[in-house]
Amino acid sequence: MVALSAAEVRFIQGGIAHDLRSDGRGRYHFRPFSIQSGVIPQANGSGRCKLGATDVIASVKAELGRPPAGRPNHGSLVISVECSPTAAPEFEGRGGEDLSLELQRALERSLLGGPNGAGAAIDLSSLHLLEGKVCWVLYIDTLVLSSDGNLLDALSIAIKAALSNTGIPKVEVLASTSADEDPELDVDNEESSPLDISQVPITITLTKVGRHYIVDATAEEESQMTAAVSVAVNRKGIVSGLTKRGGIGLDPSILADMISVARHVSQTLIPTVDAEIAASESRAAGS
Amino acid sequence: MRGLQFELESGQQRRVSKAQERLKDAAGSVHAAAFVNVGDTIQVDHEAGFLRGHGTQVVNGELLATVCGIVERVNKLVSVRPLRAKYNPETGDVVVGRITEVAPKRWKVDVNCRQDAQLMLSAVNLPGGIQRRRTAVDELNMRSLYEENDIISAEVQSLYQDGSLHLHTRSLKYGKLENGQLVTVAPYLIKRLKQHFHHLKQYGVDLILGCNGYVWIAAPSESGKSSVSDTPMDLSNDHGSEMSSKRSTTLIPSAQEDGKRDLSDDDKVRDSITRELRERICRLANAVRVLAALGLLIFVESIIDTYEVSLSWDTAVKDMLAAEFCIKIVEREAEHRDKKELAI
Repeated sequence: MVALSAAEVRFIQGGIAHDLRSDGRGRYHFRPFSIQSGVIPQANGSGRCKLGATDVIASVKAELGRPPAGRPNHGSLVISVECSPTAAPEFEGRGGEDLSLELQRALERSLLGGPNGAGAAIDLSSLHLLEGKVCWVLYIDTLVLSSDGNLLDALSIAIKAALSNTGIPKVEVLASTSADEDPELDVDNEESSPLDISQVPITITLTKVGRHYIVDATAEEESQMTAAVSVAVNRKGIVSGLTKRGGIGLDPSILADMISVARHVSQTLIPTVDAEIAASESRAAGS
Repeated sequence: MRGLQFELESGQQRRVSKAQERLKDAAGSVHAAAFVNVGDTIQVDHEAGFLRGHGTQVVNGELLATVCGIVERVNKLVSVRPLRAKYNPETGDVVVGRITEVAPKRWKVDVNCRQDAQLMLSAVNLPGGIQRRRTAVDELNMRSLYEENDIISAEVQSLYQDGSLHLHTRSLKYGKLENGQLVTVAPYLIKRLKQHFHHLKQYGVDLILGCNGYVWIAAPSESGKSSVSDTPMDLSNDHGSEMSSKRSTTLIPSAQEDGKRDLSDDDKVRDSITRELRERICRLANAVRVLAALGLLIFVESIIDTYEVSLSWDTAVKDMLAAEFCIKIVEREAEHRDKKELAI
């Protein structure tokens, strides 16, 4: 995928060992990123995240649907990821499907929450409309436009920006309904209410290269990885999802260390992300 | 700005717009009227006659531009020089390329051009520096010289009518590149100058500005590559004389020997790329990236200037790719051009 000579590989590994990567970052530094809100006007909410040369868009569409079985007071989230062929030549045709599925599973693990609805990114009971009959289903669709490593982290940031930008339309239940009839609803598209995104986690991927792990790997550094662990952490430092990729096995002590590093990095990253999202929202509102 | 991703706050946006305005009016910038877009009519004296050059076409008796660029007139020749174009190779250009394929008797090299360039087996120096005819064994052992994905520096030997590009590394200074990093920039930002190989003594770093937009920044190599001897550059044809064909030295033993030597040399150099040297390499690389993103011309003096300025402003290496540093560089450039205008 990424063509690197043996000499370049040695240089990259040496840099990571010295805590000075090719662009001057330390092992635990993120690249400068930018967020744009409201890039897709037809969606209920959208956000675009550019992390270095990685570029992803997330959009949220709210549709009416049935609540999940066993939880009549909750709404639900559906996440999908698509890797566009513009991101890399190997994504042409069906080449990007495996990666899309892998990213989707990882995001579902961190955002969807458990079987009883606990631990989801947003409070699912806020999507409730009519018990057992109607609820809001949020379809979160993401698109990878350009890939330079660390797709999962960029996707989680874009999803948080999109959810922050989302407005749920106001709904009025019109006719009184019996148990059999389908309820009539009046969806008011003018008024909408925002979601509470304070619990939305951010994924931080730690890539193991040699004996060290780095945060926010570029595509070149990712090509040298032995294993990668993605940790979804929320504002309170609670780990809400864990994914391990790569063929090399990890000693449990290393895994525990990686999780603590991820939580430590999140303490500076999450406030930065929240500030960027707030700034982009005010830019979108101002323009 | 291309290539760097950040959103500018309103204050920063204002500073950038102001600096860009100053740059437009400053000395040395081409007046807006000299630019043409695709389809624009070029003013030509039809009676006096003209010669149609590159980038133009006669449509309905009018001379139209077919590319966006600047009109150039040399006597009666009217042509349009595009500002941003794919790398156009010329004979004698120094290029940095990546081997993509090992083919019979040649290597295919990616030089950021419309086609991969070719590096013939007869156009490289054999290890040991012996001048002899390439044998079948040499052909089988091409990978011991250059493998796939290796980065090399070479010179453009010739361009053929069908557009194919031939390179050669028949000099001690060309060959495989190690212990450094490659930065890719747009080829039109690199001027063709006398020197493309720079050894920056004050930093102890090697810098190669390939005309094709590939810039190589590395720790200094040991004098001369271990596989090339001290024989002077010899462009004569390699069809061996009787004497050389009698000598049955083949590529295998010398390559293995060189290979072993290379490994131990590399280990030594890897350990000797100290953190300070690495930081200087990364800072220079970031200086090149910033200049490329801002669309400023890349040559040794501008790179060193950006480097020194980042040191004087106490910018951390990783912060050179952030918004604040780039804006300050743009403002600085605007000031420089204003000063030049006043000096003239």
